[in-house]
Amino acid sequence: MAAPLVSDDIEMLETEDIQALVLRSHQNLAAARFLLLRVEDPRKAREYLQKVHDRIARANKRPELFALQIAFTASGLDALGVDPKVVATFSREFLEGMDQKDRADALGDRHANDPSSWIWGRQRKNIENEATEDGEQIEKRRVDVMLMVYAREELIETHVASECASMDGGLEVVRVQGTVMLADDKEHFGWRDGLSMPKMTGVPKRSDNEDNQRSERTREKKPREFWTDPIPAGEFVLGYRNDYKNYTESPTAELAEDPANLLPLTPDAAKKSVGRNGTYLVYRQMTQDVHAFWNYLQSSREDGNDTQARAIALGAKMVGRWPNGAPLMTSPATDDDARVHDNKFTYVADKGGLVCPQGAHIRRASPRDVLAIDDRDAAASISMVRKHQMIRRGRAFGQPLVKSMDAREMMAAPRDEERRGLHFMCLVGDINRQFEFVQRAWIHSGTFDSMYKDGDPISGGRSAPGSENPNDEFTCPAAPLRRKYKAMPQFSTVVGGAYFFLPGLRALSFIARHPGPVGVP
Amino acid sequence: MGGVHKVNAGFTVLLPLRPERVESAAALLEQMHANQPHEQDRPNPVRASASLAQAKTTAIDFSRSSTTHFATITIIPAQHYLDELLPATLMFATSYCGPARAHVDELVLVMGDGLRAIFAHVDGFDPDCSDDDLEWFLLRHRTGDTFYSGMQNLSPEDVRRNRQLRIEIEEFIDRHQPIGGLSGPPDDVRKAIQDYVLSREELAWVREPFAPPFFAWAVYHWRALAVEAGFVGLVIATIAWFAGGGAVLGTFVAIGWALVVGFVALVVVMLVSIREAEDEQTYISKRPSDDRARLLASTQTRPVINEFTLAGPIKTEGSLRPLFLRISLWVIARVAEGVPFIPTLSEGINIPTVVTARWISADGGKRLMFISNYHNEGKAYVRDFIETPSGAVRINLSFGFGTGYPKTRWVAFGGALDDPNAYLYSLAENQLPTLFWYGPYRDISVDNIKRDRKIREGLFDHKLDAQKWLHLL
Repeated sequence: MAAPLVSDDIEMLETEDIQALVLRSHQNLAAARFLLLRVEDPRKAREYLQKVHDRIARANKRPELFALQIAFTASGLDALGVDPKVVATFSREFLEGMDQKDRADALGDRHANDPSSWIWGRQRKNIENEATEDGEQIEKRRVDVMLMVYAREELIETHVASECASMDGGLEVVRVQGTVMLADDKEHFGWRDGLSMPKMTGVPKRSDNEDNQRSERTREKKPREFWTDPIPAGEFVLGYRNDYKNYTESPTAELAEDPANLLPLTPDAAKKSVGRNGTYLVYRQMTQDVHAFWNYLQSSREDGNDTQARAIALGAKMVGRWPNGAPLMTSPATDDDARVHDNKFTYVADKGGLVCPQGAHIRRASPRDVLAIDDRDAAASISMVRKHQMIRRGRAFGQPLVKSMDAREMMAAPRDEERRGLHFMCLVGDINRQFEFVQRAWIHSGTFDSMYKDGDPISGGRSAPGSENPNDEFTCPAAPLRRKYKAMPQFSTVVGGAYFFLPGLRALSFIARHPGPVGVP
Repeated sequence: MGGVHKVNAGFTVLLPLRPERVESAAALLEQMHANQPHEQDRPNPVRASASLAQAKTTAIDFSRSSTTHFATITIIPAQHYLDELLPATLMFATSYCGPARAHVDELVLVMGDGLRAIFAHVDGFDPDCSDDDLEWFLLRHRTGDTFYSGMQNLSPEDVRRNRQLRIEIEEFIDRHQPIGGLSGPPDDVRKAIQDYVLSREELAWVREPFAPPFFAWAVYHWRALAVEAGFVGLVIATIAWFAGGGAVLGTFVAIGWALVVGFVALVVVMLVSIREAEDEQTYISKRPSDDRARLLASTQTRPVINEFTLAGPIKTEGSLRPLFLRISLWVIARVAEGVPFIPTLSEGINIPTVVTARWISADGGKRLMFISNYHNEGKAYVRDFIETPSGAVRINLSFGFGTGYPKTRWVAFGGALDDPNAYLYSLAENQLPTLFWYGPYRDISVDNIKRDRKIREGLFDHKLDAQKWLHLL
C-alpha cells in the first residue's frame, strides 16, 4: 500500500486565540490548582470572565510565572446564559456528561467506578433513578467552570486567592483540586509519565518551547511511515482539518447571534464558529492504590529469589515500560536510561506479545501498528490508531508513598491513609471517537486483541464479582506457555469526572458577553 | 449434524404487515424479546413496559435451535420512495448454519406456535396452518441477501464446544502454574495437553472430525462457480468454434458473447446514468436529534456483541439505482465469499469486528436493509470502516445508495471519504431500534470465536508448529 502524503496545505494554528494548555503542559510551573466552580450569579460570573479573559495564557507565548486556563461544562454554558440553541450545537457527549447512565456503562464506570460514588462531577439530570443522594445536594456541588491555575510553587496560593476574590460571588468554589509533581516526572505507581504524546501539524515555528509539539513547515510531503508522524491539528483543535481531511463536528452560532462580531466564521462561512481554536477537555480524577499494586506484583511472583526485581519486571510487562520509562519494545530486559525517550517503536514484530504483552497499558492505549493485525496491514492499523489519539495534560495529586518514587522503597513502605492519584486530563476534538473509544474498546475491553477476560492492569476497572467478564486477568505471553495473573484487584478508581469545553479566546469573549435568549442580565 | 455441511448463511423473510396489525406486531415482538431466558435481566430500552413484560405470550426461544447463531425480528416502518408508499414490513432474519430446509424445519419444530403468532400479522398467512404449511410458507417467502459470516462453517454447538475446550485447557495450564508451569519443548507441552484432553470424558467429542467436508466449499461457492463455469465454457466453445465448429456452436457462442457484452454495456450505462444522478442529489442527512441519538445508543450497550439494523429507501435520483443496487449486492456477496481460482479474490473478505452481516435489496431495489451482529458499540462500529481510505470506498459501495448518504462519485468515491460526519448521520437516520434480537454469545467476541476455533483445529494438527499453537492459549 502506498503511503499517503502529508497534505501540502497544512493549516497553521492561530496560537494567539488558543489556550496555552493545548500546546503546553506547563511543566515549568510546578504548582497547579484546579478550581471547580459553580455559577452563583450569572451576571457577576460573566463580568469575571470578561476580566479574566486577558489573563488567560495563550499558546503563542510560554508563561514563565503563572498561567490561567479556563474550561466550561455544558451546565456552565447554560448557567452563564449562553443561548440554548448555541449550546445544543455542542457534541452530544459533552451535553450529556460523563456520568450519563449508558455512557458510564460503556466507559466501564460501574462497580467501584460507579458515578453514584463520585465525590464530584454528578449532574442532577443523570441521577433520576438513583436514591443515593438528594438532588439539591448534587446541584450544590455542580461543576460549571474549571479555572486551572498553574504557577511557581511560591506564587500559587497568591494567584488562587486573587482569582477567588476577583470572582466577587459570581462563581462559587465547589472544590479546589491540589496537585503534586512527583520525582522524575513519575505517577504514583512509580512509572515515568507523559513520554509518548501525539504531535500535531500547524504549530508555528515561533511558538518555541512548546511541549511535545514541532513545527510542520519543514515536514511537508514526507510520507507517513511512523505512527509518531504529526497528526492534523483538527484532531485536537476544533475548526481545523482532521485526519479525515475534514472538519470535526464543532459548536456554532447563527450569524445574528454574534452581533459584536466576536467569533470567526465556519469554513463554509454560513455560521459563526464557537468551537474554532477550542477543544474538549476530558477530566477523570482517579485514586491509585499504590500499596495494593506493589503487593499484588510481589505476591504474584512465586518463583525466584529476588522477589522485588521480579515484581518490577512484572510491573514493566503490565505497563509496557520500565519504571524509568524505557519501553519494553526497545529495552526488553532492563530499565535502560538511554532508552527512556524511545518512542518510534512499533509492535508488528511482536504480534504475539512476547516482548510487550497485548494487554500492557501502553499497548492498549495505543496499539500503533498492530490493531487487528491479522486482518489488516500495519499501514491500515496506523491510519486507524491515529484517529484515536489524545493530548494528555494530567497531574498527580496526593503525597507519594515514598518521595524517591523508587519501586523497591515503595514495596518496603507500609500502607498509609494518604489519598493519592491522578487528575487524568486529555484534550480531544471528538470525545466519542477519541477518549470514549479508547476507554471502551481498548482500555476497558476484556476482549481487546482477542483476549478473553483481561483488564487494563493499571487503569482498568474491574466488573462486579460474578459478572460475565470480570476484566481481572492479565496474560503475559511466554514460551512455551503464557502466564496468567488472575484476580487482579482494581488499582485505580474513578472518583469524579466531567467533560469540559476549553474555548478559544474569542469564544471565551462570546461566552462572557453572550446575553442569552431572554436577556439574562 | 454429522455428514451435513455447516455453511453459514442468512435466512431472511420480508413480508408486508397488515396495516391494522403493525402496533400489535410490535408489541408482540417486544414481549417475545423480553421473555427470552437470557434477556430477563435486560429490559428492552425501546419501549420497556411492565404490562408487556408481564403479559403471557407464546415463546420464541432460539436457544432451542441448534442451527441459529443470531436472529433479528423487527418491523421496517412504512417509508416513501418518490410518490410510492413502501409498506410497513415484517423482517424475520436468522443467521444459521447448514441446509436452509433443515434450519426452517427445526424452527418450525421448536417454535412453530411462536412463528405462527408472528406471521399472523401479515397478509395471506393462515395462523392455523400445519407445520408443513408453515415450513413451506417460510421457504417460499425467503428473500435473497448478501451475507457475511466471521465464523463460517461453525455451528452454535461448535462455538460452545470450542469455548469449553479452551476453558478446560486453560484451567489445566493454570493448575500447573503455581508449581512452575508446564515446561519443556513445545511438542511435549502440547502432548501433555492432548493427553489431558483425551482423558476427559466431557471432551470426548474432540475426536470427531472437525474440518468442513469438501462439498461445503462447493455449497458455499456454487454461485461464483456457476458463473466461472459458464465463462470458461464460453471461452472453450469460442475456441472450438474458431477451430471449425458448426452453426449450433456458433449460435451458442454468439449468444454467450452477446450476453457478456450486453451485461458490460448495461453496467456502463447504469454507471453513467448514476454519475449524472449523483450530482443531482439534494438531500444529505443532518445531525440526529440528541433524543434519537440517545435512543439508538441505548440499544447498543452490551459489553461485547451488539446488533445493528438499518433500513431505508434508497436515493431517489437515478431511475437505474434500484437495478444497479441489486446487481452490486450480488457482486459484493460473491466477493465477500471469495471467488474461487481468482488469486486476489479467492480468500473473500474478513471484517474483524463483524460476526455476521447481511445486506438486502427490498421492494424491487427501492429499499436497502442491513443487519449486523458485531463486536463494539454502534457509533464506533460504523466509524471503524471509514478510518482507512480503502475502507471508506467499500462503505460507499455498500451504503452509498441510502437516503441521506453524502454524495458519491462513480458510486465508490466521495461519499464517506469526503464527508464522514454526514455518513454517520445518514446511518443514524436510517438505523432502527430492533424489537426482537437473539444473540447468545454474550461474553466472547468474534476474535475469540476465531481463536477458539484455531485452538481446536491445532490441538491434534501436527503440521501446525506446536509453539505457534501454544501461543493461542
